[in-house]
Amino acid sequence: MTDPVRHKNWDFALTVITVALLGTLGVQSFIGTLYVWWAATAIPGFEISGYARFVWWMNAIAAPQVIALVVAMGLCVPKRLFDRTALVVVSGAMIAAGLGAWAFTGSFQNGLAVYLALAALIQAAVVVMTVAGARGPSYLTEGRLVKTGSGLLHQGFIGFAFVVVALQRSAFMLPAFWIATALTLLGTLLAFYADRFAWRKTVRVEVDRSFADEPQG
Amino acid sequence: MNPALVQAEIAQLIQTLGAIGTPLQALLPAAAVLLVALAAVPAWRPLLGPAVAASAFMLLLGEIVLAWFHWRLYDLAVVVSPDTGRIVGRVAVPLWVESEKLYVWALALALMAVLIRRHRQELLPGVAVILAVLMAGAAIWGKPFTEPLPSFLGQYLGYLQAMASGDPARMFGAYQGMEGARQFYYNTIYMWVHPPALFFAYATFAISFIATLIMVRERHSAFETTAYRWARLGYLPLTAGMLLGFPWAIIAWQGESWWWSGKVNMSIMMWVLYTALLHARLYLRRRGMWRWVATISIIAFLVLMLTYLATYIVPGAHSYL
Repeated sequence: MTDPVRHKNWDFALTVITVALLGTLGVQSFIGTLYVWWAATAIPGFEISGYARFVWWMNAIAAPQVIALVVAMGLCVPKRLFDRTALVVVSGAMIAAGLGAWAFTGSFQNGLAVYLALAALIQAAVVVMTVAGARGPSYLTEGRLVKTGSGLLHQGFIGFAFVVVALQRSAFMLPAFWIATALTLLGTLLAFYADRFAWRKTVRVEVDRSFADEPQG
Repeated sequence: MNPALVQAEIAQLIQTLGAIGTPLQALLPAAAVLLVALAAVPAWRPLLGPAVAASAFMLLLGEIVLAWFHWRLYDLAVVVSPDTGRIVGRVAVPLWVESEKLYVWALALALMAVLIRRHRQELLPGVAVILAVLMAGAAIWGKPFTEPLPSFLGQYLGYLQAMASGDPARMFGAYQGMEGARQFYYNTIYMWVHPPALFFAYATFAISFIATLIMVRERHSAFETTAYRWARLGYLPLTAGMLLGFPWAIIAWQGESWWWSGKVNMSIMMWVLYTALLHARLYLRRRGMWRWVATISIIAFLVLMLTYLATYIVPGAHSYL
């Protein structure tokens, strides 16, 4: 059985990592935009000769962040099912499978695709268990519909990442994209507005408080 | 199709739109000044609600006029193949492109401002100021009634001239350009879903931003809840709009480097920041977390504005430079 306090700290750490990675990707996007704006006027013929090099650099800088984000998302998914020790083992196995696929095929993209496919499978199990009302999956949120929504939207994002990484030139791209989009939007709708769809309405009491009362330091 | 006749009818249509819409367009900056004045002077604030409602009504009236203009334009803007002489289709120009973008954003915000219930008195002054900026911007830079759809009309009138020229090379070149724009830009289903979803999201985020500023001033969680409710309302269409942009980009920008273009960069940044905001607020009960939530919310809205402006400033795919 997982210690709930440690589990919450682990959840918090993963959330902070996710937010930080989203932030750094945002900063990179902003700097990239400023650079293109500057280069388009300062470097003659930038769009013809310099843009390809800019894209290469942006990809190179973004790749480790995206991988870290995918790993964080990969950790977020099995964390709902496993305690921390098992989680590290499962996550390690997922990374090993991805690295193995990379080494075997010589394509980094394939490695990432295998990692995402495994994350999608585990997430599918999490969603099924959540819908079925199993006690196993742990969530930050409460209520089966909210949890289902959260599970579905994470499934959708993993699916979208899989489409971007593995299916861009495939005939399955559009069907897979629409499924991922539908899961994401349905999940978001449930996660945010579960109380509107709930069969049995629960009255949630929101306790307003002043931030000025928080202890300092 | 008689190109000269179509050209004359379009000119007549533009003239009619100008005649109907010029008074409305002139009213926009006047209403903007009034909104700012009512928001700035506390004693006048009881009039702010009715003024916002009147602005929403005025904008809606203008939108009906624009919808009529687009409907008439749809009747006129046919695309004819120079090979067969047959009509291949009509151009359905959406109501949120070019000169009409800021107008639609202002309309969305005005309608939402009318619907605000929770913390209405506190939110309205800030929301009214943003609405005033959008309305003034729509009148000064957009000019939807007096200079409608400059890019579309420029291209379509050029196409008509080419069709009237009788020069096969010129006719075929203009036809290809117009038919490409019709199929992959104006008439595509994405164009009818992606921008309005984003403008809806932008309007909700503007209200969320004002609620966040009040939260920082009042240091109270009740305003954070209000900010969150508006942010979550916008996050769904933001995500939907951005996701729908993906297959469209693959189809319409085939062979172009669009992934790291300025507008796309900024859009991704905006989305990751709002995603970060919704994650961060899960821990609002932690000490000092509200400061992080407020900071992310404020930066996200500033990035939203930069994302909108990036289209006009930064070159690349999705740029109007």
